[in-house]
Formats: sequence, structure tokens, C-alpha cells
Amino acid sequence: MLKGNKRTLLIGIGNYGRSDDGLGWEFVDVFASHDDLFDVEYRYQLQIEDAELITQYDEVIFVDASQKPLSEGFSWYKCKPAMTAAFTTHKLEPEMVLWLADDLYGRQPTAHVMAIEGNTWELNHGLSDNARDNLVNAIAYFMALINKLEPQEV
Amino acid sequence: MNRKVVIDPVTRVEGHGRVTIHLDEYGKVHDSFFHIVEFRGFERFIQGHPYWEAPVLVQRLCGICPVSHHLAAAKAIDQLVGIDPEDLSPAAFKLRKLMHYAQIFQSHALHFFYLASPDLLFGADAPVDKRNVFAVAVADKELARKGILMRKFGQEIIQVIAGKKIHGVAAVPGGVHHPFTIKDRDYFLNGDLIPMRFMKGYHEKNRAWLDTFAAFPSGHLGMVDDQGNLELYHGKLRAIDNEGKITLPDVSTNDYLKYFTEGVERWSYMKFPYLKEIGREHGWNRVGPIARLNICNAIPTPLAEKERQEYIAFSGQKVNNSTLYSHWARLIEILHCAEVIKMLLHDEDILNDDLVREGVKRLEGIGIIEAPRGTLTHHYQVDEKGMITRCNLIVSTTHNNEAMNQAVRWVANNVISQKGTITDGMLNQVEVAIRAYDPCLSCATQALGQMPLKLEIYNHLDELIGEHVKGE
Repeated sequence: MLKGNKRTLLIGIGNYGRSDDGLGWEFVDVFASHDDLFDVEYRYQLQIEDAELITQYDEVIFVDASQKPLSEGFSWYKCKPAMTAAFTTHKLEPEMVLWLADDLYGRQPTAHVMAIEGNTWELNHGLSDNARDNLVNAIAYFMALINKLEPQEV
Repeated sequence: MNRKVVIDPVTRVEGHGRVTIHLDEYGKVHDSFFHIVEFRGFERFIQGHPYWEAPVLVQRLCGICPVSHHLAAAKAIDQLVGIDPEDLSPAAFKLRKLMHYAQIFQSHALHFFYLASPDLLFGADAPVDKRNVFAVAVADKELARKGILMRKFGQEIIQVIAGKKIHGVAAVPGGVHHPFTIKDRDYFLNGDLIPMRFMKGYHEKNRAWLDTFAAFPSGHLGMVDDQGNLELYHGKLRAIDNEGKITLPDVSTNDYLKYFTEGVERWSYMKFPYLKEIGREHGWNRVGPIARLNICNAIPTPLAEKERQEYIAFSGQKVNNSTLYSHWARLIEILHCAEVIKMLLHDEDILNDDLVREGVKRLEGIGIIEAPRGTLTHHYQVDEKGMITRCNLIVSTTHNNEAMNQAVRWVANNVISQKGTITDGMLNQVEVAIRAYDPCLSCATQALGQMPLKLEIYNHLDELIGEHVKGE
């Protein structure tokens, strides 16, 4: 369950310099100023040492751009630990980081993935129009989740 | 029938390379090549940029050793603003050094724990599903946790000085842009993290393999201080031959062009640097941990020097030409970095705000440092407006190009040649040999994008008869 407090870590994965690959970072940017709610981290790729980092939190949200089409333009799903080593261990999936956290430190924070559909990946700054729309929708969805679980006092 | 073996991609290295092994009609190896198939472009497209952009732009060569490129470029750019290394303020010099040693600390930790340890723990013939850091995490949790802790420690020092763990900015022309704080310093002053015991125990159990695997004579190149001791940030260049005879006698880094040139081969984008006086065939040098420990008189920190003495006594050779000893050498350097980092953290100068010096501008700057993988050269020329007109980069992995080709040849001749069936374990030994040099192929060719590595087998008619592609 999303608590939206300081025990929650938002990890944006991507690269501003690669067009829509900046979606993860742009999403996290929105919440970076809300440091009463979240800690934030920016990553080009998830690395093994992130397993240790996430053990310091109750909840972790991985935000990344998706090359696959998503029906709503974004996808929000629970992340479960899995040991699925690819040919390179420089680039880890969130599931692998969770698995390592559990295996090495015996801690498994609640984790979700926010995947946001992108379209262009060339060397360039700035999101495409479609990706920008998807980002806005993903943020709105996430804000609704926070508000539902932690109603803001007026 | 002749055959050719190709490994593509070679795994657990940085970058994209390919190995081809050519067999004759009896299955005997008659040639082998380690190809680097990425195009090199950084030297060209940095031209036309103002010089002060270089330390930031060149970091994009690599996500693993951006600090090395940042600092080598910064040293060159210092000269463009009239500042030689000895002219930097003590605070700027020591902060850069602290960042540099933290970079080597974390990069060596990444290589040893994440990339090399599966080979050491499970052997080169282990099944594919064992050859990754996840299997290490299952088999030896303490080793895996130490690896994570060490990498985190190095990266966090970099983050404090440069603002980010990767692609941060610390150096400005003539200095650095902000000091350490007392709070930052106190955070890092702890820890005995180095798993030397693991490495020594491993060597005792596997000595025959370590002594002989991919062992071949070569020159060795690195940097030393005025006493001839190991130096990683600024010193003089020294090279020796395979028996220890000096071939480059502690020369100024500013004079590198007098002594070095680069050869090219039609089958690789990576060049082959060598000492002009000795020539292309014998003038090439290994660089990196094993070379640095071979060329130095001593290590100027007590714990690492004690370990170096044990390392020399164990191998029984003044000059170690055995490829796999680079893992042990790398751990000794990690220990040395930890000692230097501790000394620098206790040095009040790093808290000082005297950070930037100015001098008389020049049109040429050369910066050479010992990066994690070896000697790294950045050389820039600018016009009167400060725009870069020429850039020459000799990256550490480029120096090791010939050594990696020799290592592949050794495995081809000693492990694959005339063995009939070529097993996955045999092919992995080719990668073990390359991996020991911790090559950064993206740096060496200055390429962008995803960069895996591949192995192919060709017969005497140059027909592809076997292929080994990682990740498929």
C-alpha cells in the first residue's frame, strides 16, 4: 500500500539526454520538491548496490519509460522479487533488485513499478508530445493514489 | 576442415567487442583476434567546443569511470589556464585526489565483486546460470555485501564532491568548485572493507591456474611519484620490459608524445599504442593494477605495501606477467585507495575554501592520470578564443589492446586448439582472460549505446561454422 511518507523512495530510471527515456526522471522531478513525502533518486540504470538502498525504506516505487505500448499510456503494478540474470549485470530490473535486497539483507520493501510509454529514444533533450501526455496521466493517477490513501487536510 | 570461433558478445566487460578464432583443417588454432567494433568519435566532435566544456563533455565517454575522464581533462584544461598540478591550491589538489581515489576504489570493487568474482568462486567451466553476481549472492553473502558496501562508499564520496555519483562536476579550470564539509568528512571515516583474506586463500588453492593462465611476456606502464612509488593522480611515467628493465625512465607526462605513438589494424577500431623507440612488435605495454604493481618501487601506504610484499613473495617473480594476478593486484590497490582516502579525510585542507587559481593562458594542455584500468591521457589544443582545435585521447583499455589479444591467443592455443568439441566452458575462458583486464570498450572507442560482445568460429575457407552469442 502506498503511504506517501518519508519511508517511501521514488527511483526514476532513464536519461534526460535520450528523449522519452527521460520520462522516469521527469516523473520524479514532480515529487522531488515534496521532500516531506518522498525521498527521490535518479538512475541511468538500476545497479546492484540499489538493493542495499531500498532496504532502508518501507515502500519503493520504480519509475521508468516503457518501449512497449501500454493501453492507458502508463502502467502501475506491484513488483515482486525475481532472480532473472540477464547477460549483463550492469542493468538490473526492479524485480532483481528486490530479490537481492531480500537475499542479502532479509528485507523486502513493498514495491511498485510505474511504467510510462515513450516513443522516441534518440540523443535529444525533451519529451515527445505523446510521452508528455502519458506523463501527465501517470502523475494524475499517482496523485489520486496518494490522496486516496493519505487525504490532504484543507 | 578449417574452422573459425567467434565470441560475440564477450560478457561482464564494459562495451562491445567480438572475438574470432580461426582453426585449420586439423582443428589447430592458426590465428585469433579481439575486435572492437564500435566507431570512435569523441576526439572529433569535441573540436569546436570551448575548452571549459571538455571536463563535462568527456564524462559522457563512460558511466563507469566518468570521474577519470573528468579529472584527466581537468588537468589538461588547468594547463590551458596556466595552472600546472603543483600550482593548484592544496584544497583543490586534495579534493580532486580524494575523488579520484574514491573512483578507483568503487570501480575496482565493481569489477572484482560484480564481474570477476563469479569466475573465481565457481570456476571458468561453471554453468552459465552460475556466472553472475546473483549466484555469488547465494553462495557467499558476506562477499556480496562487502562488494555492495565498498561500491557505495566510493560512490558516495564522489557524490559529495561532484554532486552526483555519475556524471557530476567537481573540477573547474584551475581548481574545484566547493570544499568538503566537516559533516561530510565524519560520515566517511569508518571501516575495514577489503576482503584480502578471500583473495589470498583463493590464490593458495588455485595457484597453478593463476600462475599459468594467459601468462605471456609484456612491457608494463604506469605512473610513479618522485620516489618511484605508486601514484595514481599525478606523477611521472615509467615503463619496464617483461624482466623489469626500464624502458621509459620516469618522464614528465607533458612529454608523452615524444615516446608514444599508436598503430592501427584493419580489424579493430581500437588503436595499439606503443613506445616509439622499441617499435610496434615489442613496445606495447600492459597498464592497470598488475602493471602498476610491477613498475613501482613500493606503495606509499603501509597496509597496501605489506600486501604488495606478500603478493610479490607469493608469485616469486619481480615482474608478474600472469594475467589473473590482476585480480589480486586490484584488491591491493583498493586497500591503498582506502588508506589514501582515510588520510585525505583527516586532512584539514579539504575543508578550506581556497579552491581556484589563475595563471597565464596557453594553447595546449595535457592531463594524464592513472584511471582504474590504467594510464589515461587527455590532450587538447585550443585557438586564441579558447575553442578546441585538436583532441587526443589514449584510453587505458587502448594500451591493453595488444595484451588482450595476446590473452585471447593464449587461451585459443592452450585451451581450444585441437580439442575437437568446443565447450561453453572453453569459450568462457576466452572471456575470463579478457575480463581480467577490466576493459572499458565504450571508453576505448568512445561509443554510445548498448555494447555486448560476441564469439565466432571460422574454417580454413573462412566459412562461419560456429557462433556464440551471449544474451540470446
